[in-house]
Formats: sequence, structure tokens, C-alpha cells
Amino acid sequence: MELEKEILPILDWLVPSVRGPGALVVFLAIASGLALISLFIGYLRMAIRLGPGEGFYAVAKAMGTAVASDFPRTVPRRIWAMTRLAMQEAIRRRVLIAFGVFALVVLFAGWFLDRESDHPARLYLGFVLTTAQFMILVLAILLSTFSLPADIKSKTIYTVVTKPVRASEIVLGRIFGVIIVNTAILALMGGISYFFVVRGLHHRHEIAVEDLELAPGDAGAKQGVTTREAHHRHEVTVNAEGRGQTDMIMDHNHEVWAEGTGGVQTLVVGAPQGALVARVPRYGKMRFMDRTGRPAEGISVGKEWSYRKYIEGGSLAAAVWTFRGITPDAFPETLPLEMTLSVFRTYKGDIVSGILGTMTVKNPRTGLSSEPITFTAREYTLYRHEIPRKLKAVQADGTLKDVDLFESLVDEEGNMELWVQCSERSQYFGMAQADVYVRSGDAPFVWNFCKAYIGIWLQMVIVTCFGVVFSTFLSGPVALFATAATLVVGLFRVFIISVATGEQVGGGPLESAVRMVTQLNQTIELDMGKPIEWTIRGIDAVLMGVMWLAANVFPDYWAFNTSDFVASGFNIDGNLLGQHCLIALAFFVVLTVYGYFFLKSREIAA
Amino acid sequence: MDKPAAAAGTASLVAGDAADQDSDVIIETRSLSKTYRDFWGRQKVRALKALDLEIRRGEIFGLLGPNGSGKTTTIKLILGLLFPTNGRAMVFGKDASEVAKNERIGYLPEESYLYKFLNAEETLDFYGRLFDMPAAARKRRIEELIERVGLKWARRRQLKEYSKGMTRRIGLAQALINDPELIVLDEPTTGLDPIGTREMKDMIIDLRAQGKTVLMCSHLLADVQDVCDRIAILYQGELKELGRVDRLLTVQDVTQIQVRGLTDAAKREIRQVIDRHGAELLKMDNPTTTLEDLFLNIVRDSEAHPGRRAIEAQ
Repeated sequence: MELEKEILPILDWLVPSVRGPGALVVFLAIASGLALISLFIGYLRMAIRLGPGEGFYAVAKAMGTAVASDFPRTVPRRIWAMTRLAMQEAIRRRVLIAFGVFALVVLFAGWFLDRESDHPARLYLGFVLTTAQFMILVLAILLSTFSLPADIKSKTIYTVVTKPVRASEIVLGRIFGVIIVNTAILALMGGISYFFVVRGLHHRHEIAVEDLELAPGDAGAKQGVTTREAHHRHEVTVNAEGRGQTDMIMDHNHEVWAEGTGGVQTLVVGAPQGALVARVPRYGKMRFMDRTGRPAEGISVGKEWSYRKYIEGGSLAAAVWTFRGITPDAFPETLPLEMTLSVFRTYKGDIVSGILGTMTVKNPRTGLSSEPITFTAREYTLYRHEIPRKLKAVQADGTLKDVDLFESLVDEEGNMELWVQCSERSQYFGMAQADVYVRSGDAPFVWNFCKAYIGIWLQMVIVTCFGVVFSTFLSGPVALFATAATLVVGLFRVFIISVATGEQVGGGPLESAVRMVTQLNQTIELDMGKPIEWTIRGIDAVLMGVMWLAANVFPDYWAFNTSDFVASGFNIDGNLLGQHCLIALAFFVVLTVYGYFFLKSREIAA
Repeated sequence: MDKPAAAAGTASLVAGDAADQDSDVIIETRSLSKTYRDFWGRQKVRALKALDLEIRRGEIFGLLGPNGSGKTTTIKLILGLLFPTNGRAMVFGKDASEVAKNERIGYLPEESYLYKFLNAEETLDFYGRLFDMPAAARKRRIEELIERVGLKWARRRQLKEYSKGMTRRIGLAQALINDPELIVLDEPTTGLDPIGTREMKDMIIDLRAQGKTVLMCSHLLADVQDVCDRIAILYQGELKELGRVDRLLTVQDVTQIQVRGLTDAAKREIRQVIDRHGAELLKMDNPTTTLEDLFLNIVRDSEAHPGRRAIEAQ
């Protein structure tokens, strides 16, 4: 799977290092900036109402009350009372219907999903996770934005704020109430979707002993084909004892074994395996060598997405990965490598058989390298290779000698290089750092599935915080619109930033609108006269500034979406999950403080 | 609405009796003003103009006035639900915007704004949890209040099924959950039938007997007259009258004589005495009861003797 951003260990990500200022510093800088701007706006508002002196006094008093009285006296007992109320409200308003709708969608999903897909697990997982995400976010928006405005509109809030309840407790109570209800619904969704995926992928093939034929070459081995189930059949090879495996089709295979003795032997095909996995990859650092063998950047073959760089075939060009922590303890038997390379052909060639390449294991300190291992790269097909402990290395004089992987090809610190080259002239291999990795084992799939749901849960938490905060000063429908807008901005953050920074051709929002109406190509000058052009670009500059600010302040919801990991069969890194948890926590803290001030400064009965 | 004002024509404006001077001041407003503005900050209406008020411990204070006179605005300012445009409101010596004052306040809003999806027990439990009260004490208090407002039979019914009178009662119960020192009642008898009104008034008088301070506003003169010690009359946001109810309502230059068992000869003699002193006899007849009293007597009699036709009003 594609990994555009390297996953840093959580501490490296959090604290300042050579890579950058660290998330904590960035958070503190943004939070301080926001606090100053908010104080200034608050002062302006009060100064207009009360005059400069009184305005200053009012702002100072509000800050003093918050810090000295309201925040320290925010107590769990009252928060819990408010939380219970929000939960009771949601439940009595029959919010659980949302779960019923989800169950119904999942129940009939089997009818509409492509059951002949080459990657059914990816399809099923992608479907359930996306559906759950969409439904829970919609529910979070509805519950969080209408609750408080409904209280204010029906004036029930009068009986609450005239009790010793702090604004912070009201805000926190609402947030927690909505979160708890949605968590329960999300957990139910998780349970039912897990069941749906496991049941949906489960199938059994059969094969009769008499249908097997002798396999060529291997004495006693037999081969045959299973029955067709779930829109596919497997080829089976079993040894003389009747044990074997099927081939890999639709991302899974089956174990096969013989049961019974003598003349009444039957072959049993086991349950599908390998479809629901959570590979734990160990990524290396990648660098490129150009066609003359010197360090360089990879080549661009003109694709818009510059994620992968390419190396030229039939030359010294290579992609080199340096892996760390390659020790006999971690990999006692073999070193399992997996790679998914992109192929760029300058001529069609033999389209079926793929492009040949080689990989070489190299000791980064001594330069000793293994005999090249040949492989065939097919577009978007996972290639697995287990590097054995005992292999042949090429000596300086060109002769081969038997070496141990860890003794000769890995240095003392456990570093190892893997050189990948394309063997066919005028063809290219494309790769990114995450395309080649050492598979250091598998994590439990159930836990990985839960982690994907935690990602959705974190998005729900942030959406809820935004919803409640907007509802402290906006009416229900407006708060709903505003919260939905943050979600849209968050989901299309990258695009919005590229528009805001002028990276997108065709100008800002107003210029784009003019171009659309006048059917003017993006690359052509506006040519409407200088004053009009200046006006359009001036307004655009302001709008783009607002877009830039919004895109940077609102959360990057897309980044929280880890369902791709699960669907592609990769373990969600604990560091990534930890980072997401901390980002969500940061939003929670900042938004709760904003919610407090908005509600506190609001005339409830106005 | 005009009656107390007219009656007060001969009464003096009493800002406070000498006997009350030493009492604790529970609520104090100084030049309290409120102007409502529209979205653009333009002045819409001046709801309250420079109100100066002192309400002392242990009294039932009534805010009286027609609709739109600023009664509810005053109460909302005192409770911190609105922010004053000018002046300030102090409760228990603290600014009205301070949350801590609410520990000692109970508030029954005009319409008993409660959560309809909760039942009586859940309602009181929710409001009880907002105070620093041990769970056992809270449970005891809930039982006591449900009993007191007579909702024991409907304690597990959701409030959306409650009649207006029942909602009012549970509203009062939630206002009393913390055993407050100050109880603020906004139109407490609105929507209640005569029996409910009388019970509400009895409860208010009972609260005074317990040493509580009550601030209530109403446009129903009989309610205010029956229960309040002192009243303030507001009209178009301005304070028009302030003082003890008995003083305000006493017509100093009119004497009323009510006697039972007087003979015609005696009546003639009394008339002669009045003539002799140069006074004008305005009225001398049998006093009438109020409609409220009549209705209540009939209801009570009907309850005591079911099936019997109502007897002549006493």
C-alpha cells in the first residue's frame, strides 16, 4: 500500500528534532496564536459594547473567572450528570435506529458487492469501514449540533444554568454524552461488520483423491483442481503423504491434508487463510542510483502523482533500501521480503510475463553482496521472497562463496542493504520507500480491525467537539452546516491548500467561477481589463487566505482514515495510532476551552 | 392591575420599614438597566430602567406589573441569564454572573422548562446531581419532594405525559432540590387551577415559615396580595411603587365595619352616629366572599360528600 508520509516513532514526532520542531511545539505555537487572536477579537467586541476601559476590564474578568474559578471547580460529578442527560436524550430520541440502518445495509450488502473481485477482503473491509465511518460521522454531527440549541430554544437550559453548573461542565457533558452513545453504536457496528467480513469471505472447496494427477518432477506428488466455490477454484499440489497447499487466488489459499487410511482416503481442503492478515512491515530507507551507478534522484516518467520514482532497466540504475535491526533473533530462519513495484513500459513487450529484475543483498560496511536474485515484477502484484540464511556471495574476484546472511551480509549493527534493479532495457521499475519491506511477522487481525475502528472513533470525537462548540453560539441548522463544512474542508484539505497556495492552475475561487461561466480555459489569461482582473485577484487573495487558514486549523480527517491499512492487510502502526490519539486530544482540549468561552459569554436568555 | 396602584394613592412609598433595616440583604440591584438590541446593535427596547431594589432575608417579595413591564427581565438579570446594559445585580453579596451563588438559589421559570423525556424521579435526580449533595441525601430529598408536591403516583411517568399543573409541581420540586435560601418564582401560579393556585400559595407561605426568602413575579394581583410581604410595581421598565403590601393596600381614609347579628335598630343608631360625626356612609351591607373562596368551598364540600349537589355557598 502507498504510504506518502513516513511513520515516525511517537517521541520523534512529538518533540523537536533534526526533522522539525515536533508536534508539541507546533501545537503550542498554534494554540498560543489562536489564544492571542481570540483575546483580541473578544476585546474588540467588548470595547465596542462597553468602551475601551470597561471592555478591557470585562475581558480580564472573564479570563480571571475562567482560570481562578470555573476551570478548577469543574467537577466530574456535574460533568457526569450532564453526560447522562445527553445520553438519555439521545437514547430516548431513538438514536439506536442508526445502528439498525447500518445492520440493514450490511445485511443486503452481499447482493451488491462484486463477489468475483480479485481482492474480496479489500472490498469487504473497505465497504464496512467506509459505511461505518460515514454513518457515525453523520450521526455525530446531528447529535452534537442540535442538542444544546434545542435546550436553549426550549429554555430548558434556564433550569440548568441557574444551578451551580459551569459552562465547561455543560460543554464537556454534551461532548461526552454524544461520544459515549456513538461509541456504543460504533462498537455494535464493529461487531456486526467483523462478523459480516469473516462470514462473507468464508468458503470451503472440495477435491477428490481420484481427480489428482501425478505432478511432473516430484516423485509421489500429485496435483489437481478444487471445486469452484465463491466464484473461483484453486490448483492444488500435495506431497506423497497427502499434505499440501492450494495456490494463491483472491488473496488467499487453503491448506490441504489427507484423512482416513488405506483405500478410503479423502482430501480435506481447509478454511481460507491469508485473506485477513495484518502484516507488520519493517520499512527501510530508500535511495536511488542513476544509470551510471552514482547517487541520484529517481526518474519521473511524467505521471502526475510523484509518489513513485523510476529506475531505468538494463543499466546501473538501482533503488537501494537500507534496513535496520536485521538480527538472527528477529528472523531466525529466513528473511521474508515483500515488494509491490510499479512497471513503466516504453514498449509493450510480453505483456503477460512481466518485467524481469534482480535484487541483491549487500553489507553496507564491507560492500560484500549476494548473488543477484531474479524476480518478475507485475504491476500492482505483491511479490514475496524469503531470503535464506545460507546463500552465495560474490567475491571481489567474481567467484561465489557460501556465506551466512547475518554473518556476512548484515553489518554489526544489524544494517543491511537491498539493491533492486530492472534487467530489461528501456523498461522502468517505479518504487516508493514503502513498496519494499521486510515482513517481520503478523499482528492479530482482530486487533488491527479494532484499530481501524479506533481511527473512525477519533474522527467522530473531533466532529463531536466541533459540533458542540459550534452549537454553543449558533442555532442548530447553522451549527450543523458549520460542522459539516469543517468535515468537508478536512477531507479535501490537500486540494484546498493547493488552491489556497496557488498551486492549482486557474486562480482562486472567484477567478475559477469567472472562468467556468465564461468558459475560459485554465491556462489562458483572463484578459478582462486590468481593473477587473485586479479586483478579482484581490478578492481571491482574501478568500485564499481564509481557505489556507481553515485548511490548516481544521483537522485532516483523511489522515485519521486507517481503513486502507486494514483493507490492504497491513498492521496499523502503534506510533501512527498514538499520533492520531494525541492530535484528537489536542483538538478536544482546544475546542472545549473555546466552547466554554462561547457559552460563558452568551446571554442565555437573550 | 390598576387596583393596587389606585389603592396606593393614599399610601406612602415605603422603601423599607425601620424593623427591616437590620435584616440581611439577599438581593440588591443598583441602577440595573437592560436594553435589548438587534443583530446590528441597534436599540430595540429598553426593558428595564435604573432599578434600585433591596430584598431581605425571610421575606416574600413580589414583582408586579403588566406584561412587558420588565418583571421577567429583572429576574433573568438577577439570575445571570441576561447581562445588564448598565448597573449591577448582586445576590448574596456576589455578582449575579457568579456561578457559586446558584448553590443557594432555587428557580422556577415561567413555564417549567424541563426535560420532557425524563420522568419525575430522573428529573430530580439530574438536578440533584448538579449540587454537592451526598447520594443518600439526594435520594432522601427526592422522596421528600415528590411526596410534598403530590406526584408520588406519577413519579415514573415521563414529563411529556404530565398536565400543566403536574409540570408546575415538578418544576417547583426541582427548584427546591437543594433546599435553597432564596427561591425565585416566575409567575408561579400560571396555568394552575384554583386548587393548584391555592396549594402553590400555601407552599410559598410555608417556605417563608421555614425562613426562606422568596422573590416572585406575577401579573395576578390576588396571588401577590395573598402571599407577598413587600411588592415592587413595575411599569414599562420603571419602578412605580415599592413597599409593604398591607400598607399599600390599606385605604387610610375609609373605615369598613363588619358585624354579625346586628338588629335594624342598632344599624339605625350607627348611621346616626356616623351622621353626627359628619362622615359619609359609603356602604353598609353583608360582605361577600371572593369567587376563589366560593369555588374552593364547593370543591371541598363535593369531595367530602360525593354525589350530593353543591349546597348554597357559605
